[in-house]
Amino acid sequence: VARLCVCDLLVAECDANCCCDPDCTEADFSLFTTCSVPIVTGDSRLCSQKAAVYSLDVDANPPERIFELIDQVNPSVFCIHSTNYKQLLSFSSPEMPTPENFDQLLKQFGRAAFSAEPEPDSWNSNADVQNPSDANETYRYEHGAPVQTEDAFLRLPSPVVSSWCSDANPAGFLVNQATKCTRSVSVEKCGSIQAVSMLFYINSSILAKLHEFVFQVNITVQAVVVQSQDGMRTLLNDSDALRLPMILDDLCINIVLGVSYHITYTDAGEIIEAAASFVLGAINKEALSIQQSFEISFTQVNTQPVPLSGNPGYIVGLPIRAGFLPQGYPFPADMLLQHLACTDKHGQLTILQSTSSQDCLAAQGARAPVLFGYNMISGCTLRITAATKCQPLTQTLLDLLKGQNFPEYVASFGNSQAQDVLDWVPIIYLHTSEQVKSSCQIPVSLEIEVKWTKYGSLVNPQARILNVTATIATTTLQQLPSGRERTFPVTSSVVFTDISSPAEPGYKAWPTINAKLPFDFFFPFV
Amino acid sequence: SSQLSSVPLQMLFYINGIYYIFYFLASLALIIYKSQVFSYPDDFLAPDLASLLIMAGFEVLRLYLGSKGNLTEEQAPLGLSLVTTLGSVVFSVYFLVWQTHVLKADVILNAVLLCAYGLEAVLKVTAIAAFVS
Repeated sequence: VARLCVCDLLVAECDANCCCDPDCTEADFSLFTTCSVPIVTGDSRLCSQKAAVYSLDVDANPPERIFELIDQVNPSVFCIHSTNYKQLLSFSSPEMPTPENFDQLLKQFGRAAFSAEPEPDSWNSNADVQNPSDANETYRYEHGAPVQTEDAFLRLPSPVVSSWCSDANPAGFLVNQATKCTRSVSVEKCGSIQAVSMLFYINSSILAKLHEFVFQVNITVQAVVVQSQDGMRTLLNDSDALRLPMILDDLCINIVLGVSYHITYTDAGEIIEAAASFVLGAINKEALSIQQSFEISFTQVNTQPVPLSGNPGYIVGLPIRAGFLPQGYPFPADMLLQHLACTDKHGQLTILQSTSSQDCLAAQGARAPVLFGYNMISGCTLRITAATKCQPLTQTLLDLLKGQNFPEYVASFGNSQAQDVLDWVPIIYLHTSEQVKSSCQIPVSLEIEVKWTKYGSLVNPQARILNVTATIATTTLQQLPSGRERTFPVTSSVVFTDISSPAEPGYKAWPTINAKLPFDFFFPFV
Repeated sequence: SSQLSSVPLQMLFYINGIYYIFYFLASLALIIYKSQVFSYPDDFLAPDLASLLIMAGFEVLRLYLGSKGNLTEEQAPLGLSLVTTLGSVVFSVYFLVWQTHVLKADVILNAVLLCAYGLEAVLKVTAIAAFVS
């Protein structure tokens, strides 16, 4: 105890006001004002222990340090007289691992957390007992789990390092994927390459639940499209017959060029239906490789396969859902076509897409969907001559800027349903013009401003669209002298503004004491 | 006098009985206190509790045999009681020295108990000598 000093921090130097510092000399002690550490003891719960007491005698001139070693007695009857448990009063140094005690140390300390007592072995056997019942719960598919078939996994061939197809890519549950890869073929090996035949993709049946071979779902052929040599596709009427590759007139026909799986699942994580649509084509003698495209999508049973743009908040990069309000309720135009292979682009919020030719009138209606969170600007140049008339030009430009089916309502959440009218936000139109004069005003720019906010909890905020404003700016069309031409730019842009207010922490209300007297408490008097 | 039974011995048995009840309850309370305040792992707690219970059993046996032997003036039960006293002394020394945590209260309790045992042993020997002769 006499050698312990808590305030001795500087090595070989005197610490200020540290009376127990061995580096301090008498002259240093005379400069101290107090002792920062007056007493050094062991555990104070012991009945009697040694204590080192340091104090400054300020009456003497110069002040001196007094050091005493006394026996401190704990007067309580509960003081520790002695103990046979070594770890009570001091930290025990850990054992050095040797080849003999290594296994025992590993068992005791080889986990992420351990307590002072070695874990009894009965705890491990309890964990084994619980495992089978837990495994029952995990028999259902979880997001990302590979979809199992009776022999292996449902394969979605995809390019690995180069663009050649690899058949070892399992499809993940609820992971919508689309891949394209190249496969080497030749007409001679028409019948023997397995991966270009329909049978390869539908012969194994999918397990309805993980690791359970009792319930299996067969893959049915939903649609077969035949693609001719020049790229024209025709949908075949009878999709029941299995078409295997065979040689016909020097061509190898019924080669699989694309497969689109569609899996229906329940919300209990079971697969109940699986369908595949094929695109078959033909190759000729010179063909050495073909490009195959594969797709898989998952739909919950009893729901419409509407692609959501977020659940519930919008996800950055997914298109904004928009629709119309015919007589009563919003009717998202992308629910019109229910064919599973199509994604309907009409009815989404779209803006003009810049083309390489940059000529507005030759734009051919190329439009790009507005993706949430991506500010976009596009435009083209318009060339007018003296002969252009105002009214048709205005109409053309308006069609160009807004497109064919410019929607009226925008979904405020990524998963807004058509039935919930209040979940849809109307698009507000503003017109700005340069001059008030009623000469010819032609629209030259469309700016869509989407104001969105963070909604929900601070930990997991969801994006919610609050306000969509479409501003059309017009300018006057000056009459040109004949023979002259003028070009001016037409732009359209989309801007996303985050107007979320800063998060407010919510505090729970103070608990109140809800004490009420019974109503007849003052009975004799009231 | 014709009465050979030792009156001081009987008085000591009586006082010992009362004191032992107090000792048992106090020791149990101290063990509970120690398990809350200090680190008292199960491997160390179990022997202490077991010793206390066995000691209680020994004590009941010892007092019964000694009292019976003294009152009926027979040396056999008294001799057995003396032997059992040895066992109780061992337990008391265990609680005094080899217990996991020994507090000052433990020291006081066990010291008093050991004094009582010593006094009893002396009186028993004289009683046996009186009965034999």
